[in-house]
Amino acid sequence: MAEQVEVGVAGKSSLNCTDGDVVTDVLKDDTPGVSGEVMLVNTDSFEECNHDLDTQFSGGEEISGPDSPIRKVQREQDGSNELAVGISNVSLNHEEEEKTESEETVLDANEEEEDEESTDEEYLKSSEWILKEKHVFILSESGKPIYTRHGKEDRLVTLFGVMQALVSFVADNDDVIRCIVAGNHKFVFLVKSPLILVAVSHTVASVPQLIMQLTYVHNQIVSVLTASALTRMFEKRRNYDFRHLLGGTERLLDHLLNLLDSHPSFLLGAIQCLPLNCSVRDTITNTIIQYCSKIKNLVFGLIICQNQLISLVRMKKFLLHPADLHLLFNLVNATESLKTSENWMPICLPKFDPNGYLYGHVSYLADDCEACLLLLTVDKEQFFTLSEAKQKIVDRLRRHHCLEGINVAIRSSAYTVRAVGAPELRHFLYKSKTTAQFTCPEFTPPYHTDEEQKRLYGMYQLIHHRVHSASRPLKMVYMVMDTETLVGWVTKEFELYAALEPLVTKSNAIVFVNKLLRWIKNEENKLFILNSPTF
Amino acid sequence: MSGKVDLKVVMLGQISCGKTSVVERFIYNRFNNNYQNTIGAAFGARYLDVQGKRICLGLWDTAGSERYEAMSRIYYRDAKAAVICYDITNSKSLDRAKFWVSELQRSEESCKLYLCGTKLDVVQDDPHRRQVDYHDVNDYAEQICGKFFETSSKTGHNIEELFACIVEEYAEDNAEIIATLDKSTIILKEENKSKRCC
Repeated sequence: MAEQVEVGVAGKSSLNCTDGDVVTDVLKDDTPGVSGEVMLVNTDSFEECNHDLDTQFSGGEEISGPDSPIRKVQREQDGSNELAVGISNVSLNHEEEEKTESEETVLDANEEEEDEESTDEEYLKSSEWILKEKHVFILSESGKPIYTRHGKEDRLVTLFGVMQALVSFVADNDDVIRCIVAGNHKFVFLVKSPLILVAVSHTVASVPQLIMQLTYVHNQIVSVLTASALTRMFEKRRNYDFRHLLGGTERLLDHLLNLLDSHPSFLLGAIQCLPLNCSVRDTITNTIIQYCSKIKNLVFGLIICQNQLISLVRMKKFLLHPADLHLLFNLVNATESLKTSENWMPICLPKFDPNGYLYGHVSYLADDCEACLLLLTVDKEQFFTLSEAKQKIVDRLRRHHCLEGINVAIRSSAYTVRAVGAPELRHFLYKSKTTAQFTCPEFTPPYHTDEEQKRLYGMYQLIHHRVHSASRPLKMVYMVMDTETLVGWVTKEFELYAALEPLVTKSNAIVFVNKLLRWIKNEENKLFILNSPTF
Repeated sequence: MSGKVDLKVVMLGQISCGKTSVVERFIYNRFNNNYQNTIGAAFGARYLDVQGKRICLGLWDTAGSERYEAMSRIYYRDAKAAVICYDITNSKSLDRAKFWVSELQRSEESCKLYLCGTKLDVVQDDPHRRQVDYHDVNDYAEQICGKFFETSSKTGHNIEELFACIVEEYAEDNAEIIATLDKSTIILKEENKSKRCC
């Protein structure tokens, strides 16, 4: 690292980089992608895991009281006693459990203890298995194996035993184990009763980033089972084998973990929209509203494709959290069979309500269109109403040539960094904080190989970690590396991470970054959804 | 697909016993070797002709995983027929099928039961893999007053026969409903009404 400039939050809002070049928050009124209308819960990138760190030892769960969102919807829409109908098997427990705050515990160890202890296991002798960049394990609090990213969980019983022992050893002192750092390896623990999640990694991902990833994995499990079902099963039988209930979920977990290592949406806590002409998007949105606004109990209606959002309509008062939306993306992407049928499935959105199911009518728009429509309701009897609405939506979209519009956008809406017209800019991530949306260009040389893309993603993780460091958050970071110059810039409205040529001058870098912001501003109506339609 | 469903049929059975494959063969006439578990349930429909009438058969393909057991009731409620699947190469799956039989006998008395052995092609290729005896199930089917088919979704063996049987039995038992349905053949005739342009 040849040179590094950092500006802390406490510092002045402008920085003298080199003589004469002043970086200020120049584009204040002109910041791209800023909108007063919010449809997604806007998050700071690490708000997610910080929040979870505060609450994770609360005895396991937030209890769904009378004010849980699903109940609210049902009460408002029905006004009757049949409130509980939509929430299958959710037992209510109003007792607030005491939260025990715990000091962070960081153990330093110089050896991988696990290896020595369980020599009888063949995986631990396989260098291929050991050398995997990242392992993720899930076990129950009583040490029962649930999932491993690599290999077969039932053949790692002793290893899971060691993990459980470590967790309970530290828990004996009313403390909670967070991580062990051994050389390049990080062992990160997330204890979310009744589950223990462990990541073992020698990638550049920082400890908070790994905790965030484990939180996503936990959310995925909650999404399948609901938090209350998890707790209930565990209370009934401490040594319950959760694999009975999670059968088939490995696919979702594998898929999610692959994405977590490569897709910036998780790092940024934001979602990407399919770039689409305003008029096409408006027609799509209005069509959903037209046929769905009369349907009671419908909470969200959205169209997505390839990890990108096309349109989202929500019930007034309720916002969708990006973390929940990521789970919906993952569900659709990992489930090939949705393409051929009309599906009706219980889906728990942990940020919306961790203790109850929404029911999702999930189907692709048409054989000739890759976009998928999800209609989420609290009424489990509504399949045929939604099925009819879907047919009408598709018919109208076809009449207005929106299906073609979507297809064209899927094929050709990705842009390259060249469009910006900043020659020394190679790649960037731009997150609009108020809308929780981000945009980035396609990878172009030198980032055209998987290896280089992975390295670049690691760089983004690195500067992301620097700006969000809990002990010393930064406003701006400028790093000159061997192969590129990196800029990270965080304001109230946006987060920007950019990779530039290694030999770019500081003044040019600033010119290019400002040019980039102007370009995004120009394109913002296409790149972002700036309104927030409701039923 | 969202048109009026005349005959509601539900698929039930142990996880990975081949329910979705039966549905795929019946509705789309195709077979996919890659296994992917169903989440929740999938709905499909196909028109069949019976007694000269066109009848819409709506098929609920449910997930076999235990975690969906609590909500399976919404799929089999008011079902006219249940196809209860088991895997011929897995004796445990028959126990699960028997569980579903008693579940339906208890809560859905008017629902007709059809036992469907799956993966017949596997035991035809290698008879040693058969774990469920044909005659045992045949006797069991008689005992519960149900019909019984051994099928292969891969080859299509007995799939059409199974659903044809469901539709025919339904038509016999519900002649008055069948009478109200549209004819399966459309008779083209000239309209008598004079059309005026205004």
